[in-house]
Amino acid sequence: MATEFHNLQEMQHCASLVTKVFIQRDYSEGTVCRFQTKFPSELNNRIERTLLEETVKTLNSYYMEAEKIGGQSYMEGCLACATAYIVFLCMETRYEKVLKKISGYIQEQNEKIYAPRGLLLTDPVERGMRVLEVSIFEDQGSAGSSPSSTLSSDSSAR
Amino acid sequence: MPNSAGKRFKPTKYIPVSTAATLLVGSTTLFFVFTCPWLAKVISPAVPFYNGLVFLFVLANFSMATFMDPGVYPRANEDEDKDDDFRAPLYKNVEIKGIQVRMKWCATCHFYRPPRCSHCSVCDNCVEDFDHHCPWVNNCIGRRNYRYFFLFLLSLSAHMVGVFSFGLIFVLHHREMLGALHTTVTLVVMCVAGLFFIPVMGLTGFHMVLVARGRTTNEQVTGKFRGGVNPFTKGCCGNVEYVLCSPLAPRYVLDPKKKPHIKIQPPFIRPDTSERHITIKVSDNGIHGTIIHSKSKCSLDGLDGKEMQPPLPPKADKYSQLKAPQTSSEESSLSGRTHPSTPAMYRYRPSFGTMPKVHYHTAEEKIIMSEDRKTSAILEEGVRGHDYRSEPNLDLPEYANAPLHRTFQSSPFQLDSDPVASRTLSLKQGPCRLEKGQLQALGPQTAASTSYKGAFSPNTLSNRNGSLSYDSLLNPSISPAGANECRAHRGMPPMGFHSPYLPNKMCHIRETEIHRQQAAPAYSPVVIPRGMGRQSPHPRDRDSSPVRYDNLSQTIMASIQERKELEEREKRKMMHGRSQTSIYTPDSAAFDGGYGLPTNACYPEGPRGSFSRGPTPPTYGGSRDNLMGLGVMSYGQRTPVQRYAGSTLGRAPRTSSTSLHTDHSSTNSSQNRTPGPEGPYCSPVHQPHSPAMPRSPSYSHQKLSYINTHEKTDGSYRYLFTSVTDPHAVKVNGQMDCHMSTQNASLSPGRHSNVKKVTGVGGTTYEISV
Repeated sequence: MATEFHNLQEMQHCASLVTKVFIQRDYSEGTVCRFQTKFPSELNNRIERTLLEETVKTLNSYYMEAEKIGGQSYMEGCLACATAYIVFLCMETRYEKVLKKISGYIQEQNEKIYAPRGLLLTDPVERGMRVLEVSIFEDQGSAGSSPSSTLSSDSSAR
Repeated sequence: MPNSAGKRFKPTKYIPVSTAATLLVGSTTLFFVFTCPWLAKVISPAVPFYNGLVFLFVLANFSMATFMDPGVYPRANEDEDKDDDFRAPLYKNVEIKGIQVRMKWCATCHFYRPPRCSHCSVCDNCVEDFDHHCPWVNNCIGRRNYRYFFLFLLSLSAHMVGVFSFGLIFVLHHREMLGALHTTVTLVVMCVAGLFFIPVMGLTGFHMVLVARGRTTNEQVTGKFRGGVNPFTKGCCGNVEYVLCSPLAPRYVLDPKKKPHIKIQPPFIRPDTSERHITIKVSDNGIHGTIIHSKSKCSLDGLDGKEMQPPLPPKADKYSQLKAPQTSSEESSLSGRTHPSTPAMYRYRPSFGTMPKVHYHTAEEKIIMSEDRKTSAILEEGVRGHDYRSEPNLDLPEYANAPLHRTFQSSPFQLDSDPVASRTLSLKQGPCRLEKGQLQALGPQTAASTSYKGAFSPNTLSNRNGSLSYDSLLNPSISPAGANECRAHRGMPPMGFHSPYLPNKMCHIRETEIHRQQAAPAYSPVVIPRGMGRQSPHPRDRDSSPVRYDNLSQTIMASIQERKELEEREKRKMMHGRSQTSIYTPDSAAFDGGYGLPTNACYPEGPRGSFSRGPTPPTYGGSRDNLMGLGVMSYGQRTPVQRYAGSTLGRAPRTSSTSLHTDHSSTNSSQNRTPGPEGPYCSPVHQPHSPAMPRSPSYSHQKLSYINTHEKTDGSYRYLFTSVTDPHAVKVNGQMDCHMSTQNASLSPGRHSNVKKVTGVGGTTYEISV
């Protein structure tokens, strides 16, 4: 923990937020939740296009699944009505379940793909599902100073 | 009720909901106590059971409608709106199933309201799928709780019907005992039920119709889809299903405890940059394209070999360099040079694809002038089609990273150049990415052409309805001479406007990435000053003025350039023949030669006079475009402009007095004030600003000079006013922007005849591609 904390400090010192890119919603199909798969130009030298597109497409498919009107949503509605909506206190709706899945997916993508490239995805739910925020970090420490990176390596070595 | 210290507690807002709750619960309780026992005994025990069930349903739905979050959007993060605060237009268009829907900027919440979203003044929140604010439940009705509200209405109607009928039965059986307590109470309950029956039933019926049609109360009341098509409808059955059976939408709140912690630690992986070159797109424009193609390739390779960026002399030198080559080879270089000439430029050229195709991927294809050539400069060759004869080497030094806007200062020729210079601006989208951050202004010629296209791309992307066809726009048909002139400074709005070409999309130009790029300085590799987000320099403007505007100039410039392109093409022939001095400059009249450019008087000939800034729809005089470009250029460079103007003046055969201009400008402005078809689109926006129009004279002179040099195209003059540097101009710009966009919008149909505009009562204009 202490080391981790220390690493965080190093991290904060070495990588700082430069800018944020916002991937907007794609409203061409109505108000259903979809994000544009257009690749933002700011990320051109930070990440491969295909990776980001893959992420966005997967997110879109998750949202589509969450908003699908079908058997499960009927059942949920009827059950809720029948129990005077008390069931909402006990049970999680399907949308919430999918949102949890999405959150886990984003976390995983961040850890595996985006953080190593100095990017960070923010769950759209935090932004009202209006944008998918990609934070771009820059390596401040390395720019000027190997000492800081040495420091971090030292600290991590510790 | 005590007022708490912290927040204002307004008891009055709870009166309707308290009344409703009291009446509902009270009456029903009385009914159950006094009427139901007899009913259960005489008719059936099922009666109270049924009534109890219905009442329970009513209560549950009432509670859900009252206490459930309707779908409130949290306020946007500061980072999200940093661009928007400064230079975003008030409206942004988005296409939904072929219909243009307008998204309005919410000054309180700091984002563009998604479709169907509206801001509730009572709750002070933007609500998704906003229906209305219901005082009886003291809550907004939005996406999440509309179903419960609707079911509440249905169940309340059923409940009232039931209570009234059973009460009537009771009373009819107790006619002789009307004075008895039970009967009296039943009568009272019946009266209450009867009294509220009509309004509740009316509201229920109204919402049943809304549900069937797939509209919200807000849309119905404001008449958004009157006579038009509702893009959100899914058919009657689909709409009912959507209301009743759709899954419960989530709350948009951040759960801080769940926020995962991710380590971001350098070194960072970077994608393989060698792929970049592959992305170079050559727009096969024809002969030139092929020529250039090879050229560019070679040059590119060559460049790759050496330092990608052309050797970048210090800025001062840059300018001189700019001047030199320009001077010498202005004609040829300007036009042809644009794209192919500069290998470096190639890199930065946004990819347009072939002429007929508009690149919709501007975002990535924009010139990502990253700090080093790593950015994939997707160069679009042959974008301009016209001459690629320029030699690459000439431009290299020029295209050193001079800020695009700065370059204008350096070269007077640039002033003359074609509005294509705007292209450079678009190049600028990346400019911040450049290490040095700038594209050489000279590059305007080359860059201009490329950027020009780049500019198109975003627009084209957004404008799928084809209202604007870039085919014509993209044709580089500019003759060298003409092109040169056009190019010049097409308006380099320092901010990097993007998409000159989509006037009607100008409002749409808020693509964040575009904006980001355009906020050029901010986005240089250094940390962006973020504070700007909320502390917008024009917070007032944003809130008060209908158009947002710092940025408008850029968009306007973009439009201007677009126009210029069109003009150029049209006038290419005449351009050759005609001296550049021929000045149509009807617009120039509009600008008072604030800077003392007498030539601006190039007063338009009679017909010109009619070119008020107003919507002259598809008639763009070439000069106007030039003007526009000039106007843009004027940002940076007053001085050179003036110098240039002097020379220009010489050329301009006409010299009307500035007073003429003034008059003309006022005329123009007045003319401008007559919006034409676009009227409904922007009228509320620009009308208040009309007086501002004449105020943008400061740029006029510069513009005029341009006019002299280039083919005079009418039409774009209205953009001239949008020179941004003037604070007034900002407003003007904003206004103009709107105006332009409307005009453009109107133009598009004129040009392409495939967009039908439907205006709603609420002021919303929907464009339907037909």
